[in-house]
Amino acid sequence: MADPKSPGYVSSAMRVFDLSVSEMLWSRRTIFMALVVGAPVLISMFLRLLDALGAPVFRVNGMQMAGPAIFGLMIWVFYLRFTIPVLGVFYGTSLIADEVEDKTITYLFTRPIPKGAVLLGKYLAYMACTVFVVLPSVVIVYLCIVPMRGSLGGSFIDLVKDLFLLAIGLAVYGAVFAVIGARFKRPLLVGLIFIFGWEQMALAFPGYLKKFTVAYYLQALVPHAMPNDTVVSLIQGIFHENPSLPEALFWLSAILLSFLWFAAVSVERKEYVLEQ
Amino acid sequence: MTTRTRYFMAVSAGIVVVGLGSGLVAYYGGGFPSLSASRSGPTELSYVPADSAVVAFANVREVMDSELRQRLKAVLPQERGQQEFQEQTGIDIEHDIDYVVAAMTTPGAGGLQQNPNGLVVARGRFNTTQLETLARDHGGVVEEYKGKRLVKGPAGNDGNTNHSVALAFLEPGLVAIGSEIAIKSSIDAQLSAHSISANNDIMELIADIDAGNNAWAVGRFDAIASQAHLPAEVASKIPAIKTFAIMTHIDGGISGRLRAETRDDQSAENLRQVVQGLLALGRMQNDPKATALVNSLQLSGSGRTVALSFAVPSEVLEMIPGIKKDGLQHLPEVLPKELHERK
Repeated sequence: MADPKSPGYVSSAMRVFDLSVSEMLWSRRTIFMALVVGAPVLISMFLRLLDALGAPVFRVNGMQMAGPAIFGLMIWVFYLRFTIPVLGVFYGTSLIADEVEDKTITYLFTRPIPKGAVLLGKYLAYMACTVFVVLPSVVIVYLCIVPMRGSLGGSFIDLVKDLFLLAIGLAVYGAVFAVIGARFKRPLLVGLIFIFGWEQMALAFPGYLKKFTVAYYLQALVPHAMPNDTVVSLIQGIFHENPSLPEALFWLSAILLSFLWFAAVSVERKEYVLEQ
Repeated sequence: MTTRTRYFMAVSAGIVVVGLGSGLVAYYGGGFPSLSASRSGPTELSYVPADSAVVAFANVREVMDSELRQRLKAVLPQERGQQEFQEQTGIDIEHDIDYVVAAMTTPGAGGLQQNPNGLVVARGRFNTTQLETLARDHGGVVEEYKGKRLVKGPAGNDGNTNHSVALAFLEPGLVAIGSEIAIKSSIDAQLSAHSISANNDIMELIADIDAGNNAWAVGRFDAIASQAHLPAEVASKIPAIKTFAIMTHIDGGISGRLRAETRDDQSAENLRQVVQGLLALGRMQNDPKATALVNSLQLSGSGRTVALSFAVPSEVLEMIPGIKKDGLQHLPEVLPKELHERK
């Protein structure tokens, strides 16, 4: 039974969140995040500049692409297939692993707060860091690209859906990799194998294997057409099938809650041995 | 949380709010007209009656100037009909027509045979004197209708001119072609401001057309399905489609999107499955041309919306016999003898 004077689970998590968010945001890892998220922004600004100068930047195979189509392509290629899973794996796996590596986990665990609340607070800090960096980047790309032979109003609903699904993607991937970070010895390697190995392979095969990936449910929420830009994505496109919206939302919520709970339980029960 | 972090989050949230606010204003107000030319459609929509079930637009100038058209022109035999049309009317379809807006009103119980309400409004450069003379030479009569000159074709066997083709000079450089009923409805729609612009359902579909497309059509699917005279067995199998929108951009290749909105989620799911099945069937073909075409199709959409995007690049079109990038005639060896002799 907890000490009556110790803070509750949620307030403990919020204290850890307050402590961690600045540390996480201004860490060296943020430079990587800035590069990942800044690339599409720079590319969109560059495309806009070229278009303003009259260069045929929107001509692909003799056809002129409209801004909304390019925006959809960038959401798929830059954000959904790369930024979201990669940020999830880099930040999610480090929630506990960094404290173990820095040998500072002892200071957190000796506080009179539940160990699970430490993970929850750090998870919320991860969400704040990534959401406040990724979503503005998407909005800037939208404002730069969509008005080129398209209308801001016509793509507004798509933007709202994109922001929503990217936030969900960060939340779900973060929860999955929080478990990996809490339980595995080399979480980053396991996480990279999961997103660039397992998920890509499962989506390329017909059958039910794809149901054991996050991307399968996340892709069902995307309002843009899936691009066939690589051989893998071409194969994925052939076997592409979308679960219904309620089904996708249900499974994403289930994955998020169950993995977050599992990560918190893992941290509560696991004995972390600090290497000397 | 440090002050620096608070500032960072405030700036980030500000960017998101500004972006969403701009999008919201544009969405509800049809704002930023300089950036969204497609929002309200062409001004000639004011001549399209409000009860039109289908509205279409084609930028004839862009299509005629497109790389694809130039290559087809080089391949196809001399278009004699087009030349005769120009000699008689003075209209060079290649150069004198900028764009056309077409519409079809609900035909009613009698169907199109009894109530032909097709209407075409064309913007371009027309020789009105030559057109009137031509009409008179063929037994047509010229009259005024609410301040517009109306050239009517000869009456039918029943003495009724309502069903014959008529032509009206709506404005300088703007003509309407259709049945007399349709043209009078068009003039009434513009004068009474009761045009398709007042029809929110159709205007929402038009507003969703991407600005880059040079041909599009939107409308109620039931208006088309009822005229298709499909067998009852086939008609009963078609998912309940409410509205449709087809948009395409023709340049070096052809790209576009076909979007349908069904009455409910289940119908949309059924339609997606039907299209997915057809695409899968297409991918099984050994023909590289068919495979390339099928690979350009992308099925998407959620809820009640089903969208099929296509992008046929110039390279794929070059696989079609007779079309070459250099525009030279290149008919296949297997053509019938008569066609080879025409080369």
